[in-house]
Amino acid sequence: MKNDSTFKLFSLSIVWVWLLFFSLVPYGLVIIASLLSHSENNLIQLPFTIKNYIDVNNIIYLRILEKSFYLAGLCTLICLVLGYPFAYIIARMKSSFKGLLILLIIIPFWTSSLIRTYSMIAILKSKGIINSFLMGIGLIHTPLPLIFNNTAVLIGLVYNLLPFMVLPLLTNIERLDNRLIDAARDLGANRLTTFRKIILPLTMPGIIAGCILVFLPAMTIFYIPDLLGGAKSVLAGNLIQNQFLISQNWPFGSAISIVLALLLAMLLLIYWKSTRGKKERDLL
Amino acid sequence: MKIIFSLILFFLASLSFAEENSVNVYAWPGVIPNSVIQQFEKETGIKVNFSTFDSNETLYAKLRATKNAGYDVIEPSSYYIDRMRRQNMLEKLDKNKLSYFKNLNPEFLNQSYDPHNEYSTPFIWGVTGIFINKNYPHSAAIKKWSDLWNKNYTDQLMLLNDAREVFSIALKTLGYSANDANSDHIKKAYLKLKELNPNIKLFNSDAVISILIDDDANLGMAWNGDAFKAKQEKAQIEFVYPEDGFVIWVDNFAITKNAPHRENAYKFLNFILRADVAQKIALDNLYPTANRAAQNLLPEKIKNDPLVYPSHAILKRGEFQTDIPDSALAVYEKYWEELKMSE
Amino acid sequence: MTRATSPFYVTLIYLFFYIPIIVLIAYSFNNAQYSLLWHGFSLRWYQELFTDADLWVSVWHSLLLGVLSATIATALGGLAAVSLYRYKFFGRNFLYALIFILILSPEIVMGISMLILFNLINVRLGFWTLLFAHITFCMPFVVVTVYSRMVSFDKYIFEAAKDLGATDGVIFNKIILPLLWPALLAGWLLSFTLSLDDVITSYFVAGPDFEILPLKIYSMVRLGVKPEINALCSVMFIVTLLMVMLSQFMLRKKP
Repeated sequence: MKNDSTFKLFSLSIVWVWLLFFSLVPYGLVIIASLLSHSENNLIQLPFTIKNYIDVNNIIYLRILEKSFYLAGLCTLICLVLGYPFAYIIARMKSSFKGLLILLIIIPFWTSSLIRTYSMIAILKSKGIINSFLMGIGLIHTPLPLIFNNTAVLIGLVYNLLPFMVLPLLTNIERLDNRLIDAARDLGANRLTTFRKIILPLTMPGIIAGCILVFLPAMTIFYIPDLLGGAKSVLAGNLIQNQFLISQNWPFGSAISIVLALLLAMLLLIYWKSTRGKKERDLL
Repeated sequence: MKIIFSLILFFLASLSFAEENSVNVYAWPGVIPNSVIQQFEKETGIKVNFSTFDSNETLYAKLRATKNAGYDVIEPSSYYIDRMRRQNMLEKLDKNKLSYFKNLNPEFLNQSYDPHNEYSTPFIWGVTGIFINKNYPHSAAIKKWSDLWNKNYTDQLMLLNDAREVFSIALKTLGYSANDANSDHIKKAYLKLKELNPNIKLFNSDAVISILIDDDANLGMAWNGDAFKAKQEKAQIEFVYPEDGFVIWVDNFAITKNAPHRENAYKFLNFILRADVAQKIALDNLYPTANRAAQNLLPEKIKNDPLVYPSHAILKRGEFQTDIPDSALAVYEKYWEELKMSE
Repeated sequence: MTRATSPFYVTLIYLFFYIPIIVLIAYSFNNAQYSLLWHGFSLRWYQELFTDADLWVSVWHSLLLGVLSATIATALGGLAAVSLYRYKFFGRNFLYALIFILILSPEIVMGISMLILFNLINVRLGFWTLLFAHITFCMPFVVVTVYSRMVSFDKYIFEAAKDLGATDGVIFNKIILPLLWPALLAGWLLSFTLSLDDVITSYFVAGPDFEILPLKIYSMVRLGVKPEINALCSVMFIVTLLMVMLSQFMLRKKP
């Protein structure tokens, strides 16, 4: 029994110390900054005020947040729809190449995302690879507008975030017990029912994990939308970045990022509450 | 495994021997070729740690947030020299240690952002003007910023992704200064820019040259240095110094307050000012140099190309970019967001 | 999805992953500095790449940082996930919150707040500050991945093991680790990917004498020095691919 508490104490204390130091303290600083004022010569200064939070309540910022939520949500959905069958097939594979296949998913992402985004531009631009090809075979005569629009932004986001959906799904689907699926089949359930009643609920933790890892980063990424979308709209990531760097208003930038964090936390909480009582309540 | 482990150990051990006789330079990427850095190291025996930043704003935020970031020599643009000297972040230069200061072009000295060049030495500069693809049917008609509002140019323009640069074209069109901090004027500029919205195809500051070369946009705003580089790969690119005025930017070297290697920093600054060195740099980065002695050493083809070195008469239409108060910056930023979200 | 269409679908997704990489490699041979269109074959970017010693130093720095931070983040994140799953303790929800804050924070906020923290405790910017920052932003990705796999465990395994006299340490080594390793591997891979690619947070916590690759790439690309970077990415990609293939081949040969 003594060993037990040693292990628990060891793991808990190391985790606590790390998070208190590198999560609580920095975030505490952000919270304090968000309640301070700013002037020409001091990035942050007294007195304390809630003015920054009142300023966030402005139609323009709400529209920016709404647009970011929309893009991130759509990106998450596409990643899930594309990634789930893919992860399922790989996870259920019996091949000895499985390990290799999993590694092959992530290796392209070890090259700089910026350089990959430039490749994307080379593929999509008006004289780019797709347009040249289609024009070459005579299918179209004027280039298709494939770049500098929301579709291009979505393609870029999905491309960069898909592995963050696939890997958690993979590790989860792998755990799926074949006997349960066979049993359902034996009891006369068709493919769809088996999927809905057995596979989906059992792999829900993986779905949630994947959605979290895709949605949250998608909210604040900005250079992919800027490069592929022509920077024609402002997203949450740009907004916060610009408050810190261009307007030099650190308190207001902090306030926006806290509001954003609260909104996202609320989303997670609503999900958690809605599944309370069900088996999956532990997921989060 | 063992090899990796010992490599890591070796590396960690080497960390504790930080070089003493060194200088930490923090500059825009690609402005100083490696060969020049190596030449400096060879001549002086001082090791150069060369790091790069990607915007004035990030440079400033980083230096503001720390007391000991450790950088000796930095290379901000004019308006940030202005801000940093006022906030006491720069070392007052001892000109006696800069024997080659005399090489600099007087046209870029004693500007309002650093009245007596007490804090900075100009390095490279450029003009924000209009680029045009000659193949574009309406190209001949464009002489000034206000021409960009023409209804024929729907969905054609590329603008820099920078609030102050973009607002400067509307301010100039309206006859105001590009450094205007009056919020009524900024608002008028915003309303003017809103009319320009249908013509804007994209905003970009990161891949300007490839956009010019690959016909992604037929006209818009660009720096003369970038247009010059684009022209090397595509001859149809033209550059116009707008008749209604334009912004001149200057990137300058400065020494940080409390620089850990101040003496070496002076040596580096003076080295960069030397005519033969500055000429080497100018040939490599192809931006207009503020070093007159170096400019004279350049090949005729570059030195006489108005795309790189516009005449004195043209330059007189320009306005040096200076710092404006945070309150005005916030107004710019607000209207910038409005502009982008107004579609 | 039927048996006939699934290989087709998998191939399609792999193509989606690899087409930009193929384009990237093709453009490393492009005889143009700025254009993103094809201008003929050239090896000049490889010549420049192999004479640019500074670039290779930053590659080495980044790989080292990536391996170290991914490994430590995986260990730390694994411990956190296991603790959160197994133990009830005071402030458990608060611990969750601290982990989620890390993924919720925009990079710039994390970068600047960490910079201020390091400045407060007077740490010199450089390798260590980068390492701490990278471990911190990688860790929640490990926690989420590992936790989602743990949920699928049968809790009675632990009870049974306990009844049979196993200590927590033994349970961790003999039951949890073997069951968790795919999730730990996934977490490690995600962390390594994040570390190798992080620009904004790294920018703020990097020091003058420790330059890393993503920062170098980011600023070089902004000035239009790209094909050399394409060449570098191609070399790194091919080397990784060869190493992975080789290790598979060696594993296979073992009896």
